[in-house]
Amino acid sequence: MVAHALTIALAGNPNVGKSTLFNALTGSHQHVGNWPGKTVEKKEGSLRIGGDDIIVVDLPGTYSLTAYSIEEIISRDFILLEKPGAVVVVVDAANLERNLYLVTQLMELDIPLVLALNMLDLARQRGMHIDVRLLSARLGGIPVVEVVGNSGIGIESLKEAIRSIVRRDFAGSVHIPYDEAVEAELPALEQAVGNAGFARPRWMAIKLLEGDLQVMDQVAQNGGGALVAAAQAAMARIEAATGEDAETLLTDGRYQFIMRLSDGVLTRSIVGRTASERLDHVLTHRLLGLPIFLLMMWGVFQLTANVSAPLVDWMDGVVNGIFGRWVAALLSVTGLSGTWVESLLVGGVLAGVGGVLVFVPVLMALYFAIGVLEDSGYMARAAFVMDRAMRVVGLHGKSFLPMLVGFGCNVPAVYATRTLEHEIDRKVTGFLVTFMSCGARLPVYVVVGSAIFGAQAGNLIFAMYILGIVVALVTGFVLKRGVYRDQPPQPFVMELPPYRAPRLRDIWRQMSNRTGSFIREAGTIILATSVVIWLLLALPVDGQSAFDDVAPEQSAFGALSQAVAPIFAPAGFGNWQATGALVSGVVAKEVVVSTMNQIMIGESLQAGATAAEADAPSLLDDLGEIGTSLVETAVLTVQETINIVPRTLNLIPGLGVPEVTLLDTGAADDTTALEASLARLFTPLSALAFTSFVLLYTPCMTTVAAMRQEFGTRWALYQVVYALVVAWAVAVLIFQGGRLLGLGG
Amino acid sequence: MATQLRAVLDGFAAASGPVSLAEMAQRLQLEPGILEGMIAYWVRKGKLREVFAMSSGAGCARCGISDSCPFVVPMPRTYELVRENELPVINCACGHGKEQ
Repeated sequence: MVAHALTIALAGNPNVGKSTLFNALTGSHQHVGNWPGKTVEKKEGSLRIGGDDIIVVDLPGTYSLTAYSIEEIISRDFILLEKPGAVVVVVDAANLERNLYLVTQLMELDIPLVLALNMLDLARQRGMHIDVRLLSARLGGIPVVEVVGNSGIGIESLKEAIRSIVRRDFAGSVHIPYDEAVEAELPALEQAVGNAGFARPRWMAIKLLEGDLQVMDQVAQNGGGALVAAAQAAMARIEAATGEDAETLLTDGRYQFIMRLSDGVLTRSIVGRTASERLDHVLTHRLLGLPIFLLMMWGVFQLTANVSAPLVDWMDGVVNGIFGRWVAALLSVTGLSGTWVESLLVGGVLAGVGGVLVFVPVLMALYFAIGVLEDSGYMARAAFVMDRAMRVVGLHGKSFLPMLVGFGCNVPAVYATRTLEHEIDRKVTGFLVTFMSCGARLPVYVVVGSAIFGAQAGNLIFAMYILGIVVALVTGFVLKRGVYRDQPPQPFVMELPPYRAPRLRDIWRQMSNRTGSFIREAGTIILATSVVIWLLLALPVDGQSAFDDVAPEQSAFGALSQAVAPIFAPAGFGNWQATGALVSGVVAKEVVVSTMNQIMIGESLQAGATAAEADAPSLLDDLGEIGTSLVETAVLTVQETINIVPRTLNLIPGLGVPEVTLLDTGAADDTTALEASLARLFTPLSALAFTSFVLLYTPCMTTVAAMRQEFGTRWALYQVVYALVVAWAVAVLIFQGGRLLGLGG
Repeated sequence: MATQLRAVLDGFAAASGPVSLAEMAQRLQLEPGILEGMIAYWVRKGKLREVFAMSSGAGCARCGISDSCPFVVPMPRTYELVRENELPVINCACGHGKEQ
């Protein structure tokens, strides 16, 4: 079937502004459907140029016209079978060479072409200058029109070029020269194709030499079996003569043509600095870059700790208070009140899982702040900023990329080391990423920080992240300078995205995905671990107590923890509660908090829920309380956000900037039950030693499994032992060093 | 005469492991746009493959969102040579390489 004489097709690589140009050409005269028998969208529109009505068909975005993808087959078949009057090929001027490959393939089809050079504004911003006349000349006289699709610039010229090309039926006259061995075979094959009655003999001969299965099938089905055999014989001769298959030589010929064509057509000059470059001049400055990065991260953790604090209190009240009461009431109705089932559900599951879920607002605040830095393009610069520090230890900035991933979760960070070139770099970086403070460690810092350091919890979190980086750098230094010193230094080359205003929708998606991941973890690993911990806490080992009626110290969990606890006495947290939480934290770092919750407030939570259930308010009252307290929490969150400024300024001694009070909570106790228990268990020094240990000790099971998969059992075991030793040594150093300095104990 | 396409493949063969597009463009003194197309050719021919940070391996597979891990910050596009006798790798739509 032959299409209307005045049908044109719009072709181009993906993301070159083809749709924008299609809209600019056709306006509202569009029809959207699917290509026959395909799920690929087909857009068709019309435009009137002079007295001519022209149908415009938007072809799928493709990089070439081979037969490897459905989009390529659709585009090729449309041009071959529907025979449009012309093809407008849209080219991204800022990525000219890449786009010209499709142009070379369209030229081989011998169809009238117009080249619409789009995004010239972007190309100019990047200092690229394109000699349009020379480009047109080197493409055999194909009209080249400069357009800026989204502002309509050049659209009239493009319409004129379309009208002219359709009327003239001009296809240009450039044949791409191929390797000698290919050119030696082409004329005979082209002749044979022509003699067999097929159209476009040169194109078909080239496709046969490329081994294009679709073309070979069509030729064979149309009585061209001998032609296919001749092409295969030619392919064999080419390969024997050159050692390279014909398809590679043909593809290479097109790229050689593009490189020769671009020489002189495309020139690059140094342009005035863009806004992104001006920002980079400061943000990635060789001296200022690192302090600015640290300042940004400090701001992130201030936001994380302070802004989320009222929401954590609210969640604590809802989960451990109201929800606990509902569970107790439900069990009372079913006659299970006071049984081990209630103990399991309230003291085990609710204390364990609920104790971790309380910290969801903290993670949301962190992921929001990180999301802003990522979406703005700043995070991509962090590797560059860290490049100098990484070089000091014998690594390079590229190794910091997996470490950045480690701030979210250590497991993908281990896998991210796959992008490093040298095996030693992969192994060493895999060793280091586990010291990056992942999101799962955050609840531990927040709960211990809030309990012991109050409003300074943000500084504790920041200190932990920095400590992780420092330990990683020292470890890298020892490994690279001591163990693997023969590795040559390598240049660090990376494309940086331009800065942009963060998009709330993207940040929200990222934040909700990451938080969702944390909640899923709470529903699986933490839930399972909570049940096991509850079982061990309910299991007596004193020979006198009954199941689920035993003091925690006399339980199997208590006995095990007490056996290990003396190891941590020099670090200041040689109590069985902290030790038990650390042991269970090997499963997953969030479990440290859930175990603490179970040990310290599980029993009281159960008693509280049961007692409160006796004179419980109605469901309506509870819902009312949730709503009222949420409004108060929102006001307090705003207050805490504003107060980041005076608190930051007050770090300067003697400044005394007053804090804002939007809601006077009076003498209301805003500490959670767990925080109150922890305040009795830790001193500031032992709390610092404890959080440092949590940061550095054995990574979670899943990370160890990833390490084993990537680097082998021995390397994973080295890491586990090394992390334990380093964590213990750092914790002891902090505690004993602090005592020696008279910082208490 | 060795082709430029072959030089790209040789560049990856000479590297000790995966190399990013930007780094290889600098090593071969090629425009990244041209190199991107050449790499795409060898990927299609099964000689090169893109290295993804994520994996269908034991660790990530246990995570419920392994196919859309939000923790992976955008990494530079990195490629490596597919060595002979290696099992073919199918890069599924979710971006994970799966050995067949």
